Amino acid sequence: MAQKDLRAPGPEYFAAQVLPVLHKANCEGCHNGGGVAAGTRFKFPEGELSKEEWARFGLSLHTLVNRTDPAQSVLLNKPTKRLAHAGGQRIVPGSSDEAILRTWADYLVSNTKPGDKFEISERRGEQKPVLRRLTNTQYNNTVRDLLGDDSRIAEQFPPEDFVNGFRNQFQSQSVSPLLAEAYAAGAEKLAKSAFRGGDTRGLVPCKEKTPACGARFIKDFGAKVFRRPLLENEQARYLKLWAAGGAPMVVEGMLQSPNFLLRTENGAEPSWRPYETASRLSYALWNSMPDAELFRAAGAGELATPEGVEKQARRMLRDPRARNTVDEFAAEWLRYDSLAGAVKERASFPMYTPELALAMTEEARKLVQYLVWENRNFMELYSADYAFVSTPLARLYNVPPPAEEFGRVTLPPETERSGVLGQAMLLAATAKPSETSPTARGLFVREHFLCQEVPQPPPGVNANLPLNNREKPMTNRERLAVHLSNESCASCHTLIDPIGFGFEKFDAVGQRREKLKIVFTAERKEKGATETVMLDLDTSGSIAGAPNSAFRSPRELGTILAGNTQCQQCVVKQLFRYYQGRMEKPGDAATIRRSYDDFKKSGFHFQELMVSLLRWSIFPPES
Amino acid sequence: MASVHTKDRSLPRRMFLRNVGGVTIGLPPLAAMFNATGTAFAATPNAAIPTRFVLWFNGNGVVEKYWIPSDTGSDFTMTPCLAPLAPFRNDIHVVTGLDNPAARLPGPGNDHHRSMAALMSGTQFTGRGSGGPSIDQAIAARVGSENRFRSLQLGVSQESFGESIQRNMSWAGYDRSLPPEMLPNKLFDRLFGARDAGWIARKKSVLDAVQEDAAGLKKALGQEDRTRLDEHLASIRDVERAIASLPPNYRRLDPPEAEGDMKDWPRIAKLQSDLLAHAFASGQTRVASYMLTKCQGLARFPWLGYTAARHHDYTHRDGKAPGYDGPDGQRVMRDICRWHVEEFAYLIGKLKSIKEGDGNVLDRTSLLFVHEHAEANDHKNNGYSLIVAGHAGGLRTNMHTRSTGTVSDLYLAVANKAMGAGLKSFPSATREVPGIFA
Repeated sequence: MAQKDLRAPGPEYFAAQVLPVLHKANCEGCHNGGGVAAGTRFKFPEGELSKEEWARFGLSLHTLVNRTDPAQSVLLNKPTKRLAHAGGQRIVPGSSDEAILRTWADYLVSNTKPGDKFEISERRGEQKPVLRRLTNTQYNNTVRDLLGDDSRIAEQFPPEDFVNGFRNQFQSQSVSPLLAEAYAAGAEKLAKSAFRGGDTRGLVPCKEKTPACGARFIKDFGAKVFRRPLLENEQARYLKLWAAGGAPMVVEGMLQSPNFLLRTENGAEPSWRPYETASRLSYALWNSMPDAELFRAAGAGELATPEGVEKQARRMLRDPRARNTVDEFAAEWLRYDSLAGAVKERASFPMYTPELALAMTEEARKLVQYLVWENRNFMELYSADYAFVSTPLARLYNVPPPAEEFGRVTLPPETERSGVLGQAMLLAATAKPSETSPTARGLFVREHFLCQEVPQPPPGVNANLPLNNREKPMTNRERLAVHLSNESCASCHTLIDPIGFGFEKFDAVGQRREKLKIVFTAERKEKGATETVMLDLDTSGSIAGAPNSAFRSPRELGTILAGNTQCQQCVVKQLFRYYQGRMEKPGDAATIRRSYDDFKKSGFHFQELMVSLLRWSIFPPES
Repeated sequence: MASVHTKDRSLPRRMFLRNVGGVTIGLPPLAAMFNATGTAFAATPNAAIPTRFVLWFNGNGVVEKYWIPSDTGSDFTMTPCLAPLAPFRNDIHVVTGLDNPAARLPGPGNDHHRSMAALMSGTQFTGRGSGGPSIDQAIAARVGSENRFRSLQLGVSQESFGESIQRNMSWAGYDRSLPPEMLPNKLFDRLFGARDAGWIARKKSVLDAVQEDAAGLKKALGQEDRTRLDEHLASIRDVERAIASLPPNYRRLDPPEAEGDMKDWPRIAKLQSDLLAHAFASGQTRVASYMLTKCQGLARFPWLGYTAARHHDYTHRDGKAPGYDGPDGQRVMRDICRWHVEEFAYLIGKLKSIKEGDGNVLDRTSLLFVHEHAEANDHKNNGYSLIVAGHAGGLRTNMHTRSTGTVSDLYLAVANKAMGAGLKSFPSATREVPGIFA
């Protein structure tokens, strides 16, 4: 193998030699826009970069170099952990990899000056065209509003998968042959049932079977299906179907058309723009098609201004359809579905029944609904000292039962529960069948509530913890200590596990416990050897990287999260992902910042956030 | 056309054959493949019968000590997990020691995500899905265009964490999942549902209009979205082809029972296998993927007596599955792995039971049995142990080979030797694993 060139002849050395070293150490796993180290001075740029942009990024690292003594640069001493590094030792001190970094540090000293700026231009507020497919929910709602069909036929379509934490992300919306077949079969069924026993829903505006009647029907009805006026050649196309099979065949065709199943945002056709905006609003707020008023506003040019968009958005929030959409957003964000598949050990948790699991989800739903629609401070999601519980849930929480099922009860301080952090839904979904998992709970807080990605364990790592044994029974904190004593594990687990430790007084179904009870069952063929051990629990936890974040209970954590800017911004980001069907990018920073400012100014009213986020997404701010 | 009466005793009781009841659809492409008795290729010379491919997947990994035969070569010793294949010794070749290197490239995802993307396509996990087409799709792209379905995706257990890479094994391309059909009734409808000529004519006119719509919409899109719309269009064309070339004079099966426990995975697996075998026998497709359980799967196994935890829980010895730590958990995993092989053996048996040419359907089929990890507990992504079955391409059978190549190397061998796909390369492959085919 050729000897590596250790001189840095020019800026291209960065991409050629230094970048592979940084990749190998997985620096960008934490040092990225949404990563746990996003707040440090070292942040990887996002998106596809040109060679020149990579070189500029390399040059921008001069701020991490010690100009008088390059050997003392943080660029070298952080990854080698000579200086404290939350990410642990990623590069072996004295290795050839470090030598490459040193070469680059020397290059930066002689080729840059303090104060030099090497920013990579962010394409701010750029309106990229997007093609989005109706989700199964949107399909159901749309045919309900279009045809009055309540059969929820899309539940028969292939189920949608989670990507970026949601089921509506455009990257996961390819149309497979199986889905195309389902669309074809669905359209046929819907068209048939729409005209069973004649046109009982009054879809066709005229009685005759003449082409003139067909043309009228196609123009009016088609504009609702395509959510914009039809082009002339489109009308002609469907007139042929009308001639062949009348209104049912027109409906069957239109319901399979990409103009119905897909919708463009910022498409290339300027005359469609107002209608795109109408659909953007209706699918964001209602998960359904625009209503007559929205179509009117689009046609009248009223959606061309932020004020016009805001006015419509506020009107739409008063419609019950808006509630269902918020329910779906929360269900995906908080992953209610993971509780449905959870298994709990029957012997230890006889109370855990499918009914109780449903009640747990209902409690979560009720809290979100209350916060959003009663215009509460949405950050009470984390800090609420009240809950909406059923009688069995009240029993599980050891609080007096509510006056009516899922009525509001106060959670006394000694329960140490608060908001979603004290809900059995979250506590059970992040636990194993018989025991808690501080790691899973910590990870959930990082990813869902702080919008931080934590790198996954490196491939091939033995993820098994030491088993508990009679000789030396251990708490979860003690078992997890292996994570923190092993260098390669510790770099990430110090970010995760200490958050989970604060939940340790809540067992695998979300029940309060004062001590950890470990039952050692009899070995095979051995009789009467069951032994129970009770261990004290240390619930001191913290959020590494967040100042003053020591806590001892979900309630204390709730207070911290409710006042934490990153956590508040994370609510904005999650809604952004749900509304836009994608992850946020550097170019979206201004949209998110403005929406966050509005959210905060309103006292964290979620309805204001919905309006503001749509306004700033449709009309992105300059900065 | 005369109505057809056929008896096939190999079918389950509730799936007996019936006559078509006078429904005939006269479309040319597949007509020649069906004879008056309705058995697809029974009278066709062997050479004219095309080969087929099944990529079979079960979630999580195996327990190597219960799975991998200790000796290599012919007449190897059967292991507890492989025991259900004992009757098919002369139809299989066990290949162990294969590597899955793309699973170890630095990037997003946990061990399961990374191993799955790499296993299916030889590429790195994108953070959402596979980085390229899976091997079944690479093969289907070469050999699938003559059939009613370019490929079929079947599934059984649905229990999973819900992410795209966990729920799908077939990928048309970068991040483009092909979801499996998991309900036997719906699969039956796709394959054998009754159709009449008027219905077909109407469907075709509708799809023509839809395709013209798509062409019009394309003009209003940017480049990236045009590509996505093209994919949508390709799917519509696939639907159109499936409608147009419905086999004429088709013998009709009774649909599987809609009632019954839809989480009884062994029952569903057998129904799906039966349907797949008949899809092959009737020339409807040459390529299928079969996802018995999901990646990082969470199936429960009441028929094995294991209900305390879920599949993936049992692959961690640190107490995810209470009471199944250490050796006990390993024995649970052994029984689960044996069940996987048992269902695979059922499909082999089914294919073998259907006459074709002067032999049976298995003679012209190649099946490849894969799972996302090697040793389950360690989530290991090298040293995979796989099974090739069926005689397409002249498989050397009753063999256990220890190999040093990659899983993709084995894919290349199967794609080219058994399927004649003429694949020059596949990600993570450097050559065809030698010694598997005669």
